[in-house]
Amino acid sequence: MSRKLLPTTVVGSYPKPKWLNRLIREYNEGKIENEVIEQAFRDAIKAVVKEHEIAGVDIIWDGEMRREEMTSYFAEHIEGFTIYGEVRVWGNNYYKKPAIVDELRYKDELAVQDFKYLRSITEREIKVPITGPYTIVDWSFNEYYPTKEEAVYALAEVMNTELRNLVKAGANYIQLDEPAIPTHEEELEIARNATEIVTRGVKAYIGMHMCYGDYSKIYPEILEFKVDQFDFEFANRKFEDVKIFKQYEFTKDLGFGCIDVHTKKIEKKSEVKENIKKAFEIVEPKRVYIDPDCGLKLLPRDVAFEKLKVMVEATKELREEI
Amino acid sequence: MKFLTTTIGSYPRPRWFREYLKEIEGLQKEGHDIKIDMEVYKKALKEVIENQKKAKIDLLTDGQLIWHDFLAYLATKIDGFKMNGLTRYFDNNVYYRIPIAKKELKRKKSIIEEEMLMASEFEKNIKAVLSCFTLAKLSKNEYYSNDEDFIFALAEIMHEEAKVLSKITEYIQLDEPYLLYAKEHEIETAIQALEEIIKGVNAKFFLVTYFKDAKSVYPYLLELNVEVLGLDFVEGFEKNIESLKEYGIDNKSLQIGIIDGRNTKIEEISNIESKISRILDVISPKEIYLSPNTGLEFLPSVKAHEKLKLLGRIKKNE
Repeated sequence: MSRKLLPTTVVGSYPKPKWLNRLIREYNEGKIENEVIEQAFRDAIKAVVKEHEIAGVDIIWDGEMRREEMTSYFAEHIEGFTIYGEVRVWGNNYYKKPAIVDELRYKDELAVQDFKYLRSITEREIKVPITGPYTIVDWSFNEYYPTKEEAVYALAEVMNTELRNLVKAGANYIQLDEPAIPTHEEELEIARNATEIVTRGVKAYIGMHMCYGDYSKIYPEILEFKVDQFDFEFANRKFEDVKIFKQYEFTKDLGFGCIDVHTKKIEKKSEVKENIKKAFEIVEPKRVYIDPDCGLKLLPRDVAFEKLKVMVEATKELREEI
Repeated sequence: MKFLTTTIGSYPRPRWFREYLKEIEGLQKEGHDIKIDMEVYKKALKEVIENQKKAKIDLLTDGQLIWHDFLAYLATKIDGFKMNGLTRYFDNNVYYRIPIAKKELKRKKSIIEEEMLMASEFEKNIKAVLSCFTLAKLSKNEYYSNDEDFIFALAEIMHEEAKVLSKITEYIQLDEPYLLYAKEHEIETAIQALEEIIKGVNAKFFLVTYFKDAKSVYPYLLELNVEVLGLDFVEGFEKNIESLKEYGIDNKSLQIGIIDGRNTKIEEISNIESKISRILDVISPKEIYLSPNTGLEFLPSVKAHEKLKLLGRIKKNE
């Protein structure tokens, strides 16, 4: 994709400005008009994009200012889903778990407008992250399809339309977020087929991001997936997972998560540099993309910014050395 | 044959109670050990018990409203355990903190006695829920030299707790979903440990399994000295019928997990009834408890309410 050696990128989300969170809350309480919140989203995206540019990230996204989380946002825009309420994930954390109650059909665009707007305000390369069909179904109730497999394939068809529309709009790098895949190794075949459906006829560079879960249970089988790149978290488990991927020839490009998003501690440049070198034990440098482990949205905004900066600076120095 | 209805355990927290917990405990792991106001808890408890009464459920549970870690919650009440990082709870998209046994396990004080005492203010004979083998398997053992010792240490603690609980309620349910995933050599230990809990305790014991069929362990379950066996007839309908056909049910009662506690789809009563009659074609226990296959907390509250009402309606139609 990118010509530059070791292009730096993001997984997707970025902390929302505090004022945006306040406005979203007021909007949800009916205190603010549509056009005001719309303007607020656009202003927030401009601010976040500028921060990515200042940090020096090569391939960017809009920080997902409009998305509250990664399942219901998409489900709400697809015909056949409904949301009855929230369910608990752990402790006091809940999410709106969608339910499939009818045949899944394409309704609204999911990310085309976001892409177009971002394209109009930056010269940088853009990556469009979108939650993959397997994960959306795994994190939803299925009332309609006789099996999970059928639901996954039906959703993959719907999302294929979206991916094609994204390419028509000019997108050339799309990332499918599929964190649920490593949690069900027994359904890898379904996930593989779904990926084939969702990417069918899509003329763009396709990445797949997976975080959490035990990679050793799905590797090397996932190399059969029709994607150009896999993006994994490595910092979270102190780069121990590198050895999993060294066991077999890694035949895809590698997105190398080298910044821990679960700690506020900002990594040192020298340590990030050393860590990135571990990626070269898996594939040659020209096939490596550098990014944080996952979306940055749970961090304080200044910490997220500093982490991106360190990541970019470490990469720049490394480029000089190899 | 006597038909009764019962719930399995968990129930979605009332919305206001959820907000209250979020407020005082926050969203992080550390918050779970903060002491909450028991008067507030009691109000939520009352609501959940009223819901079940309104739905005309015969044997109620307390909804496990402060069990942050599902069954692993029991470990937070046992001295010697330390709660660690989050991991997936069976094949659900929900997570719990892994309990690690760091030193000798001791029952310092009540595990769920306090909760049961409070629940008993609203309804006599609420079904208490304990676990032993499953709790051990959800945990890590860093103290005992082998897993058997670890499991029996837990059994002894649960036995003590069961004795105390038997003064509050007649009904004690042992939740043991992990039995269905147990390796062959573990099963016998598990059964012996469960027997240790039950021995000499004056209560009606339920042994309940869920998330899949019980085919791999069914003959062992029959050996166990419990009055009621609970099986999951949502996930394991055909295979459980096969087991019933092959081994019968001795003189035990059957808890039929028939309503799907993990899917929002509301079942057709006629469908449920024909499934029940297929089960009763095979065996005829003296008592039948109809229930959801799992706790109802996997559902959004509006759907949990609907499922509860549905459960209450089946009995009348029988």
